[in-house]
Amino acid sequence: MGRGGRSAGIAPLVFIAPAALLILATILTPIVLSFWISLHQWSLLTPFTDMQWVGLENYITIFHDPSFLRALTNTVVFAGAVLIIGIPLALGMAVLIHQGRIVGRSIVLTLLFSTYVIPTVAVALIWGYLLSPRGGPINELLKMIGLPPQPWLGSPRTALWSLVLLTVWQYLGYFTTILIAGLIQIPTDLYEAASLDGAGAIRRLRSITVPLLKRSLVFAIAICLINGLGVFDAVNVLTRGGPSDSTKVVTFDAMQTAFDFGAAGRAAAMTMVLLVCVMIAVGGLLLFSRDMEDTA
Amino acid sequence: MSGRFAPRSLRAASGRAPVVALLLGAAFFAGLPLYWLVTGAFKRSEELGKLPPVWFPGQPTLNAFGEAARLLPLGSAFFNSFLIAGVSTVAVVATSVAAGWAFAIYRFKGRDQLFLALVATMFVPPIATLVPLYWIVQTAGLQDSLVGVLLPQLANAFGIFLIRQFARGVPTELLDAARVDGASEWRILVQIGVPLLRPAIATLAMFAFVFYWNSYLWPLVILQSPGNATMVLVVNQLLSYTTAVKYANVVFAGTLLAIIPNLVLFMLVRRTYQDAGFSSAVKG
Repeated sequence: MGRGGRSAGIAPLVFIAPAALLILATILTPIVLSFWISLHQWSLLTPFTDMQWVGLENYITIFHDPSFLRALTNTVVFAGAVLIIGIPLALGMAVLIHQGRIVGRSIVLTLLFSTYVIPTVAVALIWGYLLSPRGGPINELLKMIGLPPQPWLGSPRTALWSLVLLTVWQYLGYFTTILIAGLIQIPTDLYEAASLDGAGAIRRLRSITVPLLKRSLVFAIAICLINGLGVFDAVNVLTRGGPSDSTKVVTFDAMQTAFDFGAAGRAAAMTMVLLVCVMIAVGGLLLFSRDMEDTA
Repeated sequence: MSGRFAPRSLRAASGRAPVVALLLGAAFFAGLPLYWLVTGAFKRSEELGKLPPVWFPGQPTLNAFGEAARLLPLGSAFFNSFLIAGVSTVAVVATSVAAGWAFAIYRFKGRDQLFLALVATMFVPPIATLVPLYWIVQTAGLQDSLVGVLLPQLANAFGIFLIRQFARGVPTELLDAARVDGASEWRILVQIGVPLLRPAIATLAMFAFVFYWNSYLWPLVILQSPGNATMVLVVNQLLSYTTAVKYANVVFAGTLLAIIPNLVLFMLVRRTYQDAGFSSAVKG
């Protein structure tokens, strides 16, 4: 035992070092650098040493810039909408697939999840055709059931919601899979006991499923928030922020500001604001879920 | 397990119809875009601009694939994507297995704090590190190179988290017995840990490969020359063909080719991840 015990002393550090050092070098250090850059004026083209200190000026500028404020609002609305539509839908799907012993449910789950492995760029291209205002299949289907055709990506009123639609489509199977993995671990006799006590389906969902599913739910919501607040791919492919800034989001704005306008300091400030948004959202989620635990 | 609803099966049977309807609705919602993609790739150009749209291609043809191969650098793009996704996956699996195992098996000072600090990076939006990373890669002379793309893709917080959750279920008696036999900690990890972690490793490998195959923002920033483009960047270039209706089938064909590796991989490890991988990730 002596030899094994001694070597275990440094073994964990040796095992952790590669991952820890890589994450330190490629994520944690860049965040600090990003904050440092956000306090400067810098074009990305000149050497790092040529940066000009401007203090909080970049932050003041972006918070007085209606276009950035629009991007920030759009980002929060987008992430909120994907969350509010996507997660309950996934929860419903998960309960249905888990409880309904139906032939072909594994096919439904596989089909649902398969959308998650498709690159967002491809998802965007496919949906671009589906949502085509003139003769696109979605408008044709609307016509079949007697609803008026929609301009989808072409109008400032509907463009952001079109992006929400294709994002929910892309992630529904992924969230459903996470939630089913959580459902599998709930002991089934709990439901039977509750049914015997006269608890209806809604009551059982609220009193048993949601609390016991908390860990998977929190995980799914966290992933949903991070992906939603960081949205870029579909915007860059389909709308490039338009029409009239209605789909401009923070990541897209920061990319343009850094690489098209050469204002890396201002772009870095935008990314720091986004990082704070994610921290507030995920931190709030974790606090809220802990509260739920205390009162339960 | 299978008899869990037996006492309620009569009631369940009467409530089956709406459930089936909802599942079918969901399958339709998931399936329609995939159907449109696949059939679109086999349509003839005359069928593309028609109003109302053609739902079933009359005479399926492979012409669009040939055209896609003529217009796009498919060979080099596939090679680049496989290289980037493959190397990233191997590196992420290796670094995650070692670190996740250590966090699960050993006790040491500051373990939980270090784990939290690393896993918290899962929540960092990619754009928050992009400007400095771009500058680092540029300064190192690695812009427009696959190595530059690979640099920040060798370790991943989600991987560490997934492996650690799974490894926490490994019984310590097994490891103690191996230590008594004089096995080194490294041998314990390789000979006992890795075989036990196989379902988690398969799940992580699938997620990592898909994630890095699909990545868009970072390669878009780093890679410029056409010979370095990945499949996703090639699909991105297809965008310029979407304005002309007659190229729609080519766009669909190119897109379909870009997602096939992921679909194949997903089907291969589907069982493993559905049974083992995810449930361990959300377990306490």
